[in-house]
Amino acid sequence: MITFENVCKTYPDGTEAVCDLTLEVAEGETLVLLGTSGSGKTTTMKMVNRLIEPTGGRILVNGLDIMDQDPIYLRRKIGYAIQHIGLFPHMTVAENIAVVPKLLQWAQKDIDDRIDMLLETVGLEPGEFRSRSAFQLSGGQKQRVGVARSLAADPPIVLMDEPFGALDPITREQLQDEFLELESVIQKTIIFVTHDVVEAVKMGDRVALLDEGRLQQLAAPSELVESPANEFVDQFLGKHRFQLSLMTQTVRSVGPEAIRSGYKPDTRPTVSVGLRTSLVDALDLFKKTGAATLPIYEQRRYVGELAKRGLLHTITEVLGETESFSGESNGGQDEAGGVS
Amino acid sequence: MNAIAKFFADYGAEMLQSTREHVILTLIAVLIACAVAIPLGVLLARCRFKLLVNIVMGLASIIQPIPSLALVALTVVLFYLINGLLGIRLLATLGTGPALVALVAYALLPILRNTFIGIRQVDPTVVEVATGMGMTHRQILFSVQLPLALPFIMAGVRISTVWTIGVATLVSLVGAGGLGDLIFRGLSSYKIHLIMAGAGPAAVLALMLDWLLGRLEEWLAPSGLRNTNPQ
Repeated sequence: MITFENVCKTYPDGTEAVCDLTLEVAEGETLVLLGTSGSGKTTTMKMVNRLIEPTGGRILVNGLDIMDQDPIYLRRKIGYAIQHIGLFPHMTVAENIAVVPKLLQWAQKDIDDRIDMLLETVGLEPGEFRSRSAFQLSGGQKQRVGVARSLAADPPIVLMDEPFGALDPITREQLQDEFLELESVIQKTIIFVTHDVVEAVKMGDRVALLDEGRLQQLAAPSELVESPANEFVDQFLGKHRFQLSLMTQTVRSVGPEAIRSGYKPDTRPTVSVGLRTSLVDALDLFKKTGAATLPIYEQRRYVGELAKRGLLHTITEVLGETESFSGESNGGQDEAGGVS
Repeated sequence: MNAIAKFFADYGAEMLQSTREHVILTLIAVLIACAVAIPLGVLLARCRFKLLVNIVMGLASIIQPIPSLALVALTVVLFYLINGLLGIRLLATLGTGPALVALVAYALLPILRNTFIGIRQVDPTVVEVATGMGMTHRQILFSVQLPLALPFIMAGVRISTVWTIGVATLVSLVGAGGLGDLIFRGLSSYKIHLIMAGAGPAAVLALMLDWLLGRLEEWLAPSGLRNTNPQ
């Protein structure tokens, strides 16, 4: 869907923001561009809608070189969301969402329907929020509107620049969860920029870790966490490794001794885990329900039951692995304190 | 009661006539100033050549410290010199012509400066988002930058209008009419009533126009900035 071929961005003063970047974003995939500030991740994203023009290489969207297209029309087909400051302060929520549909000259009725639909999708009651101004919204609400606006004209591609960056940790996690749910329904091709490795692993189908304009590793989150390509990647994961491992390892990795056959319930219980549920989510479920065992379902098939003790055992093993991994780094122990 | 009735019987017609002249002069001057200063301010705010911006803003600022009476008088001199250079009487050196030029020159700066600042203070991220969403330069100007600069521009227009009403009392000295006629005649013959017949409407006019422009600003305000209290 989006192809970078040896893309470079060199500024007139000689600074290389992005260098020889080659990667492909598949249709429907969420690719996270991860890196510190100055790593070139935002530059890379902005080159897709030509807010920044590449100085070398080619970027193809749907097989067409973006430099052959009128940037104005290119941009209208690509959703764009940034931190909450990006809402137009002089427009109401509805007007903000309507911007691109209006540019595309949709009929007013279609625009109105779309606004209501999108507001409902992002969990804001249209009747209440349509005519509010940006400054009458909380940080989380602004961000929901920002996401709704980026989806307004139903673009196949959405660019998101630290969309949850300016939020408190709780709201942030809530919006991430909601967005993951939304994303599984709308199936957009998303380029998501963040400096937060935990967010990257959580949101991404694949993660591209950049440093000084160069691609360090492009891999699925679990691969990134389990086999860092080089020293830099390893350092970047740093003290988050334990947390990341719990996020990327699934119930499947719990040893067979912890999954027992158990009794198959007659009706499917409301709380269950899947083989692909991450360890951290499984742990969360145990915490919430207070149960000692949880049934495991794969699709609709009953697999067995997961014992809390078995899960905790696996988690302890993961902790041991990550500690030997990170050597002298004592970050893993900090994280362990939070779990026990 | 009688005194008031007598006052209006004596001066009413003249007051009305002079007020009308005054309002027309002021409005024309402010409208011309807006027509020049708002586009110029927008151009300057989007201009990348700092030197050019500084030169134009500097030129506009030179006019402001000149005492208004001196400026009115200088316009007459300027018109006289232009006529002399051309060798023909192209411009009437007295009357509405030089009066309008002086008033416009005086009204320019607040509008120019406020438009410039108003456009410049718009958050660059907002402009970048607008660009990223596929707006053209023109759409960004008219649906993002100008609406957000509107409070600044309107403040400039209000200042200019109030000033112009004041300066317009002086242009009666070059024969352009207005409420200055009554004031100066009153002063030179020491007729208190006559002074009041000129000064009173001038003051009321300034307050009224300021208020009207305030209403206009509210009416023009973009929807997102209008309802200021959360329901």
